Amino acid sequence: MSFISWQYAFLLTGVFALYWQLAWRGRIWLLLATSYFFYGFWDARFLALHFTTTIVDFYAALAMGRQRVAIGKVAAMTSIPAAWLLLCKALHVQGHDVSWEHLLPSVALPVIFCALYSVLWRLPETKQRRAFLLLSLASNLVVLGFFKYCNFFAGSLVTGLQTLGWDPGWTLPHILLPVGISFYTFQAMSYTIDVYRGDAKPVADFPLFAAFLAFFPQLVAGPIERAHQMLPQFQTPRAWDTAALHRGARLILLGLFKKVFVADNCALLASHAFDPKTALDAPWALLGVLAFAMQIYGDFSGYTDLARGSAQMLGIKLNDNFRLPYFAQGPSDFWRRWHITLSSWFRDYVYIPLGGNRGGAFATLRNLWLTMLVAGLWHGANWTFVLWGAYHGALLILYRLVPPLRAIESAKSGWRVPLGVALMFALTLVGWAVFRCGSLAQLGNWFAAFAHPHVVDALPWRKPALWLALHAVPLLVIQFLTRRKQDEVEISAWPWPARGVAYAAMFVAVASSAGGDVDFIYFQF
Amino acid sequence: MRRVFTKSFLLVIALFCASELTVRIFFARSMSGRFDYGYHPTAGFQENADGSVDLLRTGGRRFHKQHFQKERPAGVFRILVIGDSVPRGGSPALAYSGQLAAQLEKQGVRVESLNLAVAGFGAHRSHLVLAKALDYQPSLIIRHVNNSNEYEDEREWRRSQDFKGWHPKNWLMKSLVLRRLYEMKTEKVFWEWVPEKIRAQASLNDADAQIATSLDERKVREWQERVRKFVGEDVAACRARGVPILLVAQARREKSADGKFYLDDHGLDELTAGFKAPDVAVVSMKQVFAPLDFAPLFGDGAHLFPKGHGVLAEAIAAELNGWLLKKN
Repeated sequence: MSFISWQYAFLLTGVFALYWQLAWRGRIWLLLATSYFFYGFWDARFLALHFTTTIVDFYAALAMGRQRVAIGKVAAMTSIPAAWLLLCKALHVQGHDVSWEHLLPSVALPVIFCALYSVLWRLPETKQRRAFLLLSLASNLVVLGFFKYCNFFAGSLVTGLQTLGWDPGWTLPHILLPVGISFYTFQAMSYTIDVYRGDAKPVADFPLFAAFLAFFPQLVAGPIERAHQMLPQFQTPRAWDTAALHRGARLILLGLFKKVFVADNCALLASHAFDPKTALDAPWALLGVLAFAMQIYGDFSGYTDLARGSAQMLGIKLNDNFRLPYFAQGPSDFWRRWHITLSSWFRDYVYIPLGGNRGGAFATLRNLWLTMLVAGLWHGANWTFVLWGAYHGALLILYRLVPPLRAIESAKSGWRVPLGVALMFALTLVGWAVFRCGSLAQLGNWFAAFAHPHVVDALPWRKPALWLALHAVPLLVIQFLTRRKQDEVEISAWPWPARGVAYAAMFVAVASSAGGDVDFIYFQF
Repeated sequence: MRRVFTKSFLLVIALFCASELTVRIFFARSMSGRFDYGYHPTAGFQENADGSVDLLRTGGRRFHKQHFQKERPAGVFRILVIGDSVPRGGSPALAYSGQLAAQLEKQGVRVESLNLAVAGFGAHRSHLVLAKALDYQPSLIIRHVNNSNEYEDEREWRRSQDFKGWHPKNWLMKSLVLRRLYEMKTEKVFWEWVPEKIRAQASLNDADAQIATSLDERKVREWQERVRKFVGEDVAACRARGVPILLVAQARREKSADGKFYLDDHGLDELTAGFKAPDVAVVSMKQVFAPLDFAPLFGDGAHLFPKGHGVLAEAIAAELNGWLLKKN
């Protein structure tokens, strides 16, 4: 179910109305049921995967907190994914097939997990916590690796072997990517790692933990929340807060504006420019990447605003994910403003464990680069994403090694500030071209287009440029006016008539662009 | 305690209600078109107080701009051409409707030929245009029969029916203000600023669906019967009003595996021949063009260059000379 569908409008309104009527426990159950319904709306079969992640991490974290559960109960709980798939098979839910190959791993889960659970409890206490952490991480990474990267690595291997003159003749299976898998597995891993580190306490209340992990506003595309920030909000009853309601409504309006008005309209031009069949000249190469920059920002930050707004209406505060990223003065600044919850996840769980900046200059740069490489791969199973990560890693290194660049990034005032913003924006655009191109060959064509001011078959670009300006400038104006607050939704300081006109204009902009049904880009990650 | 509804929110509601009320009271007449998807019988015909008629947009698409008197002037042979993009041509003068008028004028016939063809219109929408056109005292209706627009016709019909319902996805567009803004942005900005090729890419899913559906033989047979049904209704409607009708059966220029061009009528010759009667004439494009070097006369598979329109106009004029004009 998409945030911009009428179904979601009804769902949120209904949940909002009911939520505030219920007692605390009722709210938890309501959130859990709604979240599973929301996720199952895409493909109910994949709920089995979510159940698996929830159950494994729940018992692994409890074990790390020295709370042992009867093996019968663990077996019963780990049988839920298989039972769910059998139910889907019996009812032929949504017309999707559930084959025996689908069922086999879920049937094996209770056997394998119970066996490991019993064995690990017999380990010496000093090794036990680490072993349960590894069990949790392994189960999450196996699920993520299989569904997201299996075909990519196997395909790359086949291509590599073919290049060497040997065709293994393998037929790769068609593996569907469950929506939002990268987001919820990362949130689940952060929970077990935090419990292991002692930064969070294990939750003994299963429905509460399941509601935390499946919380529908941020389930499929983040923000990736931390247990120690999010769980307390589930554990204590939330009080009605009119100010939070207003902020939630503003976030939802802004999210719709960014997604429906900005992103979907800019997507028209970006899709054309990055279509491999398009005759590309310099104006279109630039126009296309500018359009994509606005599209991806409008799309993802719009999604985040919708998620945060929906959560705020239920009294839950989610973390910021964007702070005017195109105003960044350098790559470090950019990653403090773009997809903040993912950046901080990689900082805390990859960069710092790799050694962070503790091992000298070379080790720091190596760790930075490796972290960005993995972050690139997180975005998708394609070499262009890896290249995008490597590119941003290289930028981070460059800005650290070259003093003038470092000075530009850290400038607080003067001419260095606009220079830094312009330079970083240009570098970000190159990164988006790498990100958007489907192949290295296409990326080469994009760069080559800048050598051709005009190509005969290229479409005229002036009017499309006006189309881009029409949809990008209003957002940039809002960003500029709210730059001190670093949050576009903070227009609450304006006089109320100005706010009213701004809201009306945003609503009209959304309504006059309605009609498309374009998925959010980050759903595929 | 904070109020649930803020002043700024109430201002938005007030602005919206005021503009909606103003539009409903003062501008309701101009609020038709796109959301009727051409199924509104009067869409595109604007009847003026002085007894004249202007042809405008219909269902998000446009007639060629034309102006005429509702009452047919005495002694004038009024021809109304109805169909899709093929008879529409580049302009009324270059299309066969205009070239036919020029030829008949040379014969001394006082002719008023109006081009009521709209790109993409299939049998159902053409039928609705014809039903309205009969109000304007035509001496002859020329109905260009094609069967390649039925997918779009059916889809638009379904959409128009959906829109009439109260499905939540249509709620925003129930507001005349929002609907008008949507139309304005689509027609004055989107169509003007975004090249057609990009717009077509954006509707890739529709195009894919159309190709997939057109490979379904059962569906193609259904469309053929649908065309037959509506052409039958067109003929009956003309007959009931005593207006002769000429059916032009479309032919497409196709390319064989060995690279040679040939003409394919896609069953339309057989379909139109079944309606032949004293008050119904038929012109087959396939029969008209087959003896000629036809390939250069076609701009693409279906559309004709002005020279091709001229050839068709000659054939229609010849048919009329042996039929209606002979009687006159």
